[in-house]
Amino acid sequence: MSLSATTAPPSPAPPPPDVAARRRRGSLLNRLDLKYSPYLYIAPFFLIFGIFGLYPMLRTAWMSLHDWDMVGDHTFIGLDNYIELFSDDYFWNALVNTFGMFALSTIPQLLLALFLATLLNRTFLRAKTFFRMAIFVPNVVSVAAVAIVFGMLFQREFGLINWLLSLVGVDQIDWRAHSWSSWTAIATMVNWRWTGYNTLILLAGMQAIPKDLYEAAEIDGAGQWRQFWQITLPMLRPTFLFVVILSTIGGMQLFTEPLLFANGSIIGGNQREYQTLAMYMYEKGIYNLSTAGYGAAVAWAIFMIIVLVSLINFILVRRSAK
Amino acid sequence: MSLTTRRARMAATALAAVLVAGGLAACGNDDDKPAEGEKPAKLVVDTFGEMGYDELVKEYEKQTGIKVELRKTAQLGEYRPKLVRYLATGKGAADVTALEEGILNEFKANPRNWADLTPLVSDHSTEYLPWKWELGKAPDGRLIGLPTDVGSLAVCYRKDLFSAAGLPTERDQVSALWPDWNGFHQTGQKYKQATGKAFIDSITAVSNGVLFQQGSDLFYDKENNIIADSSPAVKAAWETATSMVDISAKASTWSPEWSGGFKQGTFAATFCPSWMLGIVADNSGEANKGKWDVAAVPGGSGNWGGSWLAVPEQSKYPKEAAKLAEFLTNANSQVEAFKLKGPLPTNLEALKNEAFLNYTNEYFSNAPTGKIFGESVANIKPVHLGPKHQAVKENAFEPAMRAFENGQASKDKAWEQFTKDAQTQGAF
Amino acid sequence: MISASQRLWRTSPLTYVALVLAALLSIYPFYYMMVIGTRSLDSINDVPPPMTPGGAFGDNFGRVLDNDAANFLTGMMNSIIVSSVVTISVVLTGSLAGFAFAKLRFRGRNILLLAIIVTMMIPTQMGLIPLWGMMQELGWYDSLYAVIVPFLVTGFGVFMMRQYASQAISDELIEAGRVDGASTFRIYWNIVLPALRPAAAVLGLLTFMENWNSFLWPYAILTPENPTLQVSLSFLSYAYYTDYSQVFAATAIGTLPLVLVFILFGRQIIGGIMEGAVKS
Repeated sequence: MSLSATTAPPSPAPPPPDVAARRRRGSLLNRLDLKYSPYLYIAPFFLIFGIFGLYPMLRTAWMSLHDWDMVGDHTFIGLDNYIELFSDDYFWNALVNTFGMFALSTIPQLLLALFLATLLNRTFLRAKTFFRMAIFVPNVVSVAAVAIVFGMLFQREFGLINWLLSLVGVDQIDWRAHSWSSWTAIATMVNWRWTGYNTLILLAGMQAIPKDLYEAAEIDGAGQWRQFWQITLPMLRPTFLFVVILSTIGGMQLFTEPLLFANGSIIGGNQREYQTLAMYMYEKGIYNLSTAGYGAAVAWAIFMIIVLVSLINFILVRRSAK
Repeated sequence: MSLTTRRARMAATALAAVLVAGGLAACGNDDDKPAEGEKPAKLVVDTFGEMGYDELVKEYEKQTGIKVELRKTAQLGEYRPKLVRYLATGKGAADVTALEEGILNEFKANPRNWADLTPLVSDHSTEYLPWKWELGKAPDGRLIGLPTDVGSLAVCYRKDLFSAAGLPTERDQVSALWPDWNGFHQTGQKYKQATGKAFIDSITAVSNGVLFQQGSDLFYDKENNIIADSSPAVKAAWETATSMVDISAKASTWSPEWSGGFKQGTFAATFCPSWMLGIVADNSGEANKGKWDVAAVPGGSGNWGGSWLAVPEQSKYPKEAAKLAEFLTNANSQVEAFKLKGPLPTNLEALKNEAFLNYTNEYFSNAPTGKIFGESVANIKPVHLGPKHQAVKENAFEPAMRAFENGQASKDKAWEQFTKDAQTQGAF
Repeated sequence: MISASQRLWRTSPLTYVALVLAALLSIYPFYYMMVIGTRSLDSINDVPPPMTPGGAFGDNFGRVLDNDAANFLTGMMNSIIVSSVVTISVVLTGSLAGFAFAKLRFRGRNILLLAIIVTMMIPTQMGLIPLWGMMQELGWYDSLYAVIVPFLVTGFGVFMMRQYASQAISDELIEAGRVDGASTFRIYWNIVLPALRPAAAVLGLLTFMENWNSFLWPYAILTPENPTLQVSLSFLSYAYYTDYSQVFAATAIGTLPLVLVFILFGRQIIGGIMEGAVKS
């Protein structure tokens, strides 16, 4: 049988009398254990995160309330930076771009990952390890290397993709010159790098679904599709939600791919066609020394947006389950 | 050393994307404060790219017994954020820090981060190109940087492609084709007629050439007000560059189209500050060795890039650091650095040096690059770069120009985009 | 024994077609990098792009080793240390906390879990400058502590293990352990951790990978004398250009440990699953 057989505990049964007695004797310790040990288990996270994650973030919040020159003066201005955000065209532009690329990458990516995970989950698949490795390979490669290679593939004159398109009669596309084309190119990069990653996570989730559920369904005469819809998807919900939220977080913080696609220009395109929120934060907060306070405000705005979008995701996935 | 625009530095970032971080400050100045007059055990020098100081610091160690640690940041795009972090946290900066012309203006806005060198070194004000020396001073008159190098302009051109188009190929004759920008444009049109191919890489490359030979205020006036929409120099660069859209390959500097274009011969000429020669050679590959040559830039000389050495206020040994900077920028050192890595001297005596003037470049058909660039150095007219010059140029001026070049915007719309963005990018 | 359900899920040739296609698309850019890594630098600009490896790998990698600025071997060693320590810690702390959130009842559970999810949403880039200052204070500058300690826990790890544990481990299992008189920690160690193995393997793999490829922060805080692999790679670039043939040759070598790790964890992923899993 399985590896877990050795560790699988006996099925639950009423405790025999001697066990019950033992439990009573250790009851104080037991109660302490039940009540407080959970805190002990989660403490390492909060301790380390508090020091190395929370503190720098709070400091950023403090900066956002100032007119903060990175190498000069800091003047307290309250919420002015946040108020300015609302009338900042380039902030809204970055917001739209970010959501555009987010949609173009997340949706096809998750569907594809779900599809591949289903295939990889087949019982009698040969060369399992090979396929898993192959599909995961893109994530092994550093972003910079990915961006260099895709930068060449999407080249205007000599690029492989334009060449392939020319075979079917499509004119040369200047991928960096339009919103839709640059978003597509960047989303392709993201999809290439992350589909395998999400596939693996979904696969791990699928493998945790008890097989007897499928057997029972089969006895009831349910076909593959019905099994997928009625068992796999509902059972996969926590994992799927996890993947969705993760993609949201990644998508909202998209930075390296568009930056490299722009040959390192922080404004992302001649008319900011593909400048993302994270790039805008960087432009204001770090590239432009004297507006670090404003950049910090953008950082917090990104944070709020991620929280909001994740919340919406959460509600949607929850509701779809009902 | 010869330098480049921030765009170059940003683009060079490829591996970094991430300039956020950076900061390979080696164990800098975290010892306790030294006693007055105590001799430092070690001085740290921060440079980017290749400034040619490797041998010089060893010599200095021998002369003074002070150990010198040379910290090189390879990619220029990573250097500035690193420096920002040092200054923002008051820790980690080197004792001697190289500042490129784009960086310099920005950091001059807060001169108190830098030591005033005037009382620390002897008076060298007459030994360098006067404009270069003046730029090393902060608005309040304090001397914060000693001049290292300049990036004077030339044109790199493909002899084989010129010949195929029936144009002369010998460098003096080629220079004679374009006494001014009009001549350059006409040559380009002839080339295009003959071959059907583009002549130059991009119009922004042209605009760089025009901008830096104006010898006047560019995006800012002397009081550092943004004058982007009224500056004659900027308007001249804009008009000249946009007029050449018909001969442009639309391959903006540092893009994949650009680096690929060298090997494919998509364009026959480009603008070469001295530091660009190596890049042209690397992109073109061994197969094209001897096909490139170097001619004069139309309309007289111009400067693109160049650096200074400064001493951060946080250095514990400002006096000794200043002495080291003085040593690294003297005439002899500048010639040695040029021989090692190629940055063009700014010291007047170094510019007359035999070894410098006799230097030839093998890849570029043995062009006497020492002489060509050296002569143009003397003709450089200083321009006034405001505090956010680079940001205005790279994030407002050039994008707008490229939007026009790519047909994304009409010329008027593009100009409108530029003047609007110049205000936000230029504010400080 | 082949059950009816397994027959139903038997693989069709179409499955293989789809998977082979996905594998090819995944591998091609990677393969292309290998091609560049075995050729001279300017071949990157060739049209059409080179399709087969060249013979310059030895030369390229030799230049990597000769490059004093890069300290490639130190970088490799450091990356192995950093990635291993962080991975072990993230898996242990993540599964421990994930188990607590999924299966134990305690006051404030939901709000604390929410807090952990929220921590994942923080845009990391902005916090770097304050963090860098902190490291200076701690004297961890140029020390491996700086690239290990802040990463010993991740919200991702906790959240992932929590999602998996709530799905994979039945309450009866836990209850059975309690009935046997096992302490909570014993239950974790003897029951939960083994049951979490597939997810732990995935988490371990991802964590290892992430730390192996992490660049931004190590580059900020380490020096060329004591780099991680990615930092070392960045010193193979020069002022105006990156020597891709060197970088890709070094990347190829630098990827080998990842392949080993993958095979290691991959076996775990496969082992934990299919036939048995945890029956409730």
